[in-house]
Amino acid sequence: MISEYSLVVSLLIPLIATFVLPALKPRVATWISALSFLIPMVVILALLLTLQEFEVPILALNAPIGDFYLLSDPISNAFGFTVCLVSAMVALYSLPYMKHRFEEMVEAGEIKDITWEFRKYWFLYNLYAVSMLWLVYAGNLILLYIFLEISLLASFLLIYMYGYGNRQWVGILYFVWTHIAGVLALLGFLMVGFSNQTLALHSLSTIGFLPWLLIFLGMVVKLPGLGPHIWLPWAHAEAPTPVSALLSPLTVGLAGYVLLRVYLVDPSFIVEYRDVIIAYAIISSVYAGFSVFKQKDYKRLLAYSTVSQMGYVLIAICLGSYGLIGVVIQYMSHAFGKSILFMTAGAIIATFHGLRDVAKMGGMHEYVPTIANAALIGFMTLSGILTIGMFGEFYILAGLTKVYGFNLTVILAVVLVFIISGLYSFYTMKIIYYGQPAGYEKPRFSKLLDFPLYVIAFFSVAFIFPPLSTALLSGMKILLGIGGGMP
Amino acid sequence: MTEGMIEELPMMGELLALLFFSPIIASFPIAIAWGIDPRPEWARKLPVLSVFGLFVSLCVALYILFNVGELSPEAEPIKYTVYWLPDFNINFVFIFDYLSKLMGALTAVIAFLIGVYGLEYMRDDYRLGWYWFFFNLFTASMLLVVYSDNLLMLLIGWEGLGIASWGLIGHWFRDDDELSYVGVLKRKVAGLNMFWSPSTGGWRAISTIRIGDMPMFFALGALFALTGNLNISEIPWAGLEEKIGVVGIVVLMAAFLMGPFTKSAQLPFSEWLMTAMTGPTTVSALLHSATMVAAGTYVFMRLSWYIQPWELHLEGYEYVYILVLFLGLISSLYAALVATSTRERKVLLAASTMSSLGLMFASAAASYWIGKFAVLVAFWYLITHAFAKATLFLVAGHLIHETHDRFLCGDMEVARKLKWAFVATVIATIFLSGIPPFTAYWVKSGMDGVMHHLEHEFGLLPLALLVTISAIYSGFLGKFLSMNFFKGKKVHLHLHGGGIMSTAYVLMVSMLIVILGLYLTSHEEPFVEFFHEGLLPSSFAVGLIVLVAYSIGLFKPQLESPIGQFFSDRMYVMFLNDYIVPKIGWAVAKVVDYGNMLIDFTCHQAIPQMFEVYSAGIRFVQNGSLERYLRIVIGFVMLIVVVAVAAGWIV
Repeated sequence: MISEYSLVVSLLIPLIATFVLPALKPRVATWISALSFLIPMVVILALLLTLQEFEVPILALNAPIGDFYLLSDPISNAFGFTVCLVSAMVALYSLPYMKHRFEEMVEAGEIKDITWEFRKYWFLYNLYAVSMLWLVYAGNLILLYIFLEISLLASFLLIYMYGYGNRQWVGILYFVWTHIAGVLALLGFLMVGFSNQTLALHSLSTIGFLPWLLIFLGMVVKLPGLGPHIWLPWAHAEAPTPVSALLSPLTVGLAGYVLLRVYLVDPSFIVEYRDVIIAYAIISSVYAGFSVFKQKDYKRLLAYSTVSQMGYVLIAICLGSYGLIGVVIQYMSHAFGKSILFMTAGAIIATFHGLRDVAKMGGMHEYVPTIANAALIGFMTLSGILTIGMFGEFYILAGLTKVYGFNLTVILAVVLVFIISGLYSFYTMKIIYYGQPAGYEKPRFSKLLDFPLYVIAFFSVAFIFPPLSTALLSGMKILLGIGGGMP
Repeated sequence: MTEGMIEELPMMGELLALLFFSPIIASFPIAIAWGIDPRPEWARKLPVLSVFGLFVSLCVALYILFNVGELSPEAEPIKYTVYWLPDFNINFVFIFDYLSKLMGALTAVIAFLIGVYGLEYMRDDYRLGWYWFFFNLFTASMLLVVYSDNLLMLLIGWEGLGIASWGLIGHWFRDDDELSYVGVLKRKVAGLNMFWSPSTGGWRAISTIRIGDMPMFFALGALFALTGNLNISEIPWAGLEEKIGVVGIVVLMAAFLMGPFTKSAQLPFSEWLMTAMTGPTTVSALLHSATMVAAGTYVFMRLSWYIQPWELHLEGYEYVYILVLFLGLISSLYAALVATSTRERKVLLAASTMSSLGLMFASAAASYWIGKFAVLVAFWYLITHAFAKATLFLVAGHLIHETHDRFLCGDMEVARKLKWAFVATVIATIFLSGIPPFTAYWVKSGMDGVMHHLEHEFGLLPLALLVTISAIYSGFLGKFLSMNFFKGKKVHLHLHGGGIMSTAYVLMVSMLIVILGLYLTSHEEPFVEFFHEGLLPSSFAVGLIVLVAYSIGLFKPQLESPIGQFFSDRMYVMFLNDYIVPKIGWAVAKVVDYGNMLIDFTCHQAIPQMFEVYSAGIRFVQNGSLERYLRIVIGFVMLIVVVAVAAGWIV
């Protein structure tokens, strides 16, 4: 009972904070916002470590909607922990970054009052983050859809108001694409609801081909896979960096979460079309990986790497139980790594007055060593070196053998996917941070631009060691019911 | 397993924590101090702490060597488990057997001595925090690789080696010091730069290693999925072939060995090792003796130790061991030839390391036909080589420091002024090349015996290759001595300090004498066998060939020959790294980029514009004037009539 109670309270804290924050001064609001995510983070970590699994009923509605309830199990706790950690750290980071952004906008005559803008910002930021947090605990597909839409609206407004470049255009582009995703998923959800007479995850039994297809397509747009991926570089590059640092690490990956939940209800679609999906996922990941090399804008570069990493998620979901563990861990590792990386990109933008052209960088380690070292850990996480990313790759590879045996083509393709991630990571490190220094002044900048990155980095490394890894993977094993003994 | 061991191994958990974490934690003060405020004077004293961390590791490693179980090739391995992912049967399993105990002590001794040397060598560096953090991480990672029985845990150390080597090779990231480059500046061959900066060196290292590590990682995943066990000593290696067949074993083992091959720089993955010389010399010394490159061969030896292919006689493993045997020998020959013509001090030593590694691989691979003895030969060659090579690198570093020149140079004056460097070089080169009766001679004799025993399978080819390689090898060691201390061009010496540095390498080289004593006096295996092999006339004949080659290298270190340039340019293998692979990669990236532009244009320009055109068209129709609507109606009626007539509905 105590765990149910503490979960509900801790989930309510950031929600309440959302409506309180606009009344506060920017500096206070920053700390309150961060704290409102740190409290649930600690609670969720405790739930994760103690392998809790329970439901908290909220509402019982008639067919075809069914019960609304909060679903807490190791999967939602793993996702929830990630959302809280990243949101809290990005909240701290927002203060110096958005101050810089607002000053820039005041100079350009686009806004007038910084404090007023901060009020709007904190409301939207917290709403955005909290909707994602509630999404992972939503036990009903409709509830899940609602939170998906709230997060979409909040992030759309943030891009629309505070983005870079042609931000209104980019905002609408983002809105349209993700709406396509949302509508497809909603259609799928509704069909599921009408055929099962409920949308509560615990009472669903089967999902037909058409609804599965619609949900899958919707999530592929959101994830994104090759083709629809084209919205992502625009949105990620032109969003204000704290929003990029939530959008890429948390939001897009939640598509993987939705797929995972639907898969746990009824894996028929994925099992049936496994070969096609994995081929698409591999091509998509390799394609995006190669795209990274050609990018000249640091944030766009990271955006393509997101597409490549999300390919991992799609690969993993095709690979049986081990693959599902891969999905969860890949989400976490990508979230940790990519949030660090987007924040490094933002820190360079904020300290060098909008510098984001990779060609004008070089030897940046000379000027911002702490940022450079954080970026290194970020890229290590993406390529699975000494960080949680290692487990993600491990379970994907174990699942690969389980499902495909010694099929050389698939093995080589997946190995290629992983190699490319490592290569673009260290290539980017070399061209941005090392080599002959590009000739800037050594700047002074706020501690909040680099310290939060190291907190995330700490967890990224800590998750390969007991007790965190032990608890996380034990939970997965129980939940996904992998064998009684060992395979 | 744990329960039984706890009584036998008191405080083991704490000791192991000290072993792995003390170097890392001890490097935090300097790393953090440097991060907060670079280059403060007070922080320049903190490296002493880092070295103290290495010292703690050394003590623990020595304690393990002498006190945990019996030190004999036949002893049962002792294991110690710390739970990690018990639900998946993956745990931190530490193993203490003949290989790991000796290798761990070797790593710790060498790392500590090089650490001490580094206190002086790196004193005025601009990036001490980075250096010491990665240096200690490097050591801790290697120790983790050494004592791991569990492959996933081994992989943590393995990746740690990779990232630390990257960090250290690219240590002087500003690329502003000519001394830190490899190759002749501004030199080009066929449009390709023949010189490499530190940041390029780091990139080449990590990119090559990633290419090997990922297949290895796949092999781990596959082993786990197939057997549910990742402990090297417990995986049912024999049953595996029944399960996945000959092809399966070959694929699995080849994938696994991609890791060791790239780490140990066997062909065609050798280039990164040559440009790894862009790092500080201390790093080269550590990288080339007991860590990183040794990790590859060490893991192969450990695998062979527990696969025991000599007991199995399975077809799949046989193919794999044949592959390793010849890859090792060919890589070794290649590297030996390259080393003869290299003009840079450190690159010469790098090539010689690659050559030695090839021999270790080949000798360990011969175990398939010979048995455990072949692994022991490879292992003791590794140990002998480690001390000798570390000494030579440290001397080279000292010489570079004093002469400000990374190319081979120096005459008798250098020998007079840097007496200890000279003495250490003489001992290290003679003891390493296999001149009787010095250290490497005995173990090389064992290797001659091993290769000779392969006569039945492969004729005399392996033995002939080995003798050729040994001769060339001692030739360039003689050249190294000669070109630095006798016949090199005259140099201007900038003598300052050097006391700590020379102490470190003198201690290092004296270890070779200790090992020699061991070979000559010990009554245990495998030394008795080495001794026995060394007394054979054939071994002595090889020893003489080696001595002659060494003398030629010493007295005639330079020969003009067109083929020299070809060897000196490393037979142009770098075209693979710097031209072929990047060209293909960039071509794909370009295609992909066009693809992105096309999709972008379609989705964000063409389709929206199409909508605009349609909407303009529809708005054009709806202008509210009756005349236009009438025209449209009449138009449609006429169209219908025409269609009807054509279709024959209206006669």
